[in-house]
Amino acid sequence: MPDTGETPAHDSRDARAPREPAGPPSREEAAPSDPGSTARPGRVVAAWPAVPLLAALALWGWAVRHTDVSALDDYGLVSALHPTFWAGLAVLTAGFWFTVRDPRRRAGWPAAYVLGLLVMERATQAVLYPTPLYAWAWKHDAVIDHLLTSGGLQSADRLGDMAVYDQWPGFFAAQAALVRLLGVDNAAMYMAWWPLVSSVLLLLPLLLIYRTFTRDRRLIWTALWLFCVGNWVGQDYFSPQSVAFALHLGVLAVVLRRYGRPGAHGARQRQAVWTVLLSVLVIAIVISHQLTPGMLVVTLLALALTRGHRDWIPLVTTVVIFLAWCLTAALPFLSAAMPDMIRSVGDIGANVETGYGSTPTGTGAVATSWAARLLSGCVLLLALAGVLRARELRRRALPLLLVAAAPLPMFVASSYGSEMIFRVLMFMLPGAAFFAAAALLPAAQLPGARLPGARTPSAAPGEAHPEPAARRRPFSRSRPSLPSPPTLPRLRYAAWLSPLVLLAATLAFVPSYSGKDRVNYFPPGEVALVRQLFDQAPDNSLVVAANRNYPLAYEQYWRVDHYWFLEDTRTHVDDIVRDPAAVLARDMAGVAAPARAYFLLTQGQMANSEMNGQLTAAQLRRVRESVADSPRFERVARNSAGVLYVLNPAS
Amino acid sequence: MTPQDLVIRMLPPFSGWLALAALALPGGSPPRGAAVALFLAVGPGAALVRICGPALRSRRAETPDEPGDAAFERHSDLLEQLVLAVLLSVSAAILVATALIATQALSGDRVLLTLTLLTTLAAFCPSLRALPASGTAPRTAPGAAPPTRKGSTL
Repeated sequence: MPDTGETPAHDSRDARAPREPAGPPSREEAAPSDPGSTARPGRVVAAWPAVPLLAALALWGWAVRHTDVSALDDYGLVSALHPTFWAGLAVLTAGFWFTVRDPRRRAGWPAAYVLGLLVMERATQAVLYPTPLYAWAWKHDAVIDHLLTSGGLQSADRLGDMAVYDQWPGFFAAQAALVRLLGVDNAAMYMAWWPLVSSVLLLLPLLLIYRTFTRDRRLIWTALWLFCVGNWVGQDYFSPQSVAFALHLGVLAVVLRRYGRPGAHGARQRQAVWTVLLSVLVIAIVISHQLTPGMLVVTLLALALTRGHRDWIPLVTTVVIFLAWCLTAALPFLSAAMPDMIRSVGDIGANVETGYGSTPTGTGAVATSWAARLLSGCVLLLALAGVLRARELRRRALPLLLVAAAPLPMFVASSYGSEMIFRVLMFMLPGAAFFAAAALLPAAQLPGARLPGARTPSAAPGEAHPEPAARRRPFSRSRPSLPSPPTLPRLRYAAWLSPLVLLAATLAFVPSYSGKDRVNYFPPGEVALVRQLFDQAPDNSLVVAANRNYPLAYEQYWRVDHYWFLEDTRTHVDDIVRDPAAVLARDMAGVAAPARAYFLLTQGQMANSEMNGQLTAAQLRRVRESVADSPRFERVARNSAGVLYVLNPAS
Repeated sequence: MTPQDLVIRMLPPFSGWLALAALALPGGSPPRGAAVALFLAVGPGAALVRICGPALRSRRAETPDEPGDAAFERHSDLLEQLVLAVLLSVSAAILVATALIATQALSGDRVLLTLTLLTTLAAFCPSLRALPASGTAPRTAPGAAPPTRKGSTL
């Protein structure tokens, strides 16, 4: 395990070994004087953190082998998981907590634990489910298929609403190339693993950001852990925002590390080079995703407004690139959407509202929804506590506080399809997790805390280029003191409260993230049924379904049209419920031969309707029975996951 | 140039050509996927970071305002290079693929070939040197003529 130079934890409970030096133990100190006699026991002790880590992964492996996902209930994966999964998560959290606080452990161990956490959090679904989750991920696969089929970008004249993806094509074009390079049929072959890949990608810039503000290993890795468990919003799936968020954090890491010093000889050349590199990242963000550049602009603006110690160049660069894209390639979409966007500015109530079809309904949906709310509330409250308690840390990490607060004004700007509240939460999390971690550490041990009897070192040990504090950080007033470990008092209450909070947050991630898997999982039978539809549908055919929550919903969207009747007006939905076959046949009658009109009802649609406050299962069954009994419809296919009918041409 | 420098310089283009060669393997095979993914994830960015590195590192980055050893900052700099290598590589793949789809010329082979050629070109580019920091620039002796640019009449 590499030694990353982080300051190890100084736990007041380690009174048995209070004479530890402030820095990490050197190899000479760690090694026994007679390697021949005691080297092996030393290595065994050093490798002790591997025991809970491997035990947790073994429990996880056992759990996924003994979990049956064929009949999910309203609690999603939560009730289906084998109990050993929860035991594994508890063991992993406990192992992490005691490892990260032990000054004798190498800094590589917390990294191994966080990677273990990501495997348990983000790879479980990929291992358990035979098909990728999320209708949105399947939609993105369809966009990639469109690019590969058409070979170019197309306008709304040919694609309708789906042309928006051709105006932000970055992610999809890169994935189209990757599909060809890997030699696979489509992105569905690998997109189930995307949450793990994108989450690991986030770790790198996030670790760099946290290392800019503290050397304290506990703070850095506990913040990363909290970020992982607090990031339940589910934007890590196969999507442009998953990559754009990592790039966003990369830009912030560079700005926080490299744009915080006053100019000097050579600074202009160096800044030009950094700006070129930043521009590459920003362009990739801007051409891939609509919202992320907006979040980046407000965050850079907040940083630039603080006492002049942040540079305006990253902000101006981002704004120029963003505007250039919006006024050229993305102009068709923006000019059409601008009236709605302007109307929503300032309408905070509507922007925060979740809207029809997204109201959790049923015990399971409500319970998992509350778990998610409590988890987010807990992280934000912890962050607030951390900000209030750690005065010195708050002053030093002021930019991180701004990073956490900057996305909040976006509530005023737009509803973003009823998702703004979740997106704001996700963009706040990098800063919030840092201060939340500070709340979990005893106040007396936080970096910069002053204690009675603590010495103020005149120079940092081992510092290669000591500089006056005012020059090292323009916003710092004085060099803080590091508390001397031997004088730390015992803090008993925090010893158990903090790990329990961390454990509760870690466990709460599972229902928050996987509690709606009944909606998000489509069994192979459902995929096969929809594929059968598209294999036989002539050009310009129409697919009628309850909602868009089924796999391949947008398959071949450039030649097959869709109508999701639950998205129609409430009065029309009521008409359909009253006389399903007659009203649906009338809606579908406009399709001219040789095109056909299909009616598709699958378990994914039913789960989504039922758990999100649309029609009940009984109402949808009645719709299906009405269509089945009607002579106007002919059954094309049926299996355990759904049914497919076609409207007879005569009707 | 030391052998180690040569390896660092040539590894990214080599991984690109290796990925191109791996396309001869059957579609979906793990070695093909590994070679392609490794190059696309790190290769182009690593080449760019090597070129810009000396200029970028000419001054220390922001560091925690806490006492500590130099190893922490050294490891943070290494982490920064890794972050840049990965994120610049991802960005380069996105930019090249978007440029090709916009010109109706997208194919996997073209994306990989373009990135490999750019990475190879970068391997032959000299590193951007840092300007000397203030106070370390050569000073003119008292009474001596002021320094002039080569070819200048001043």
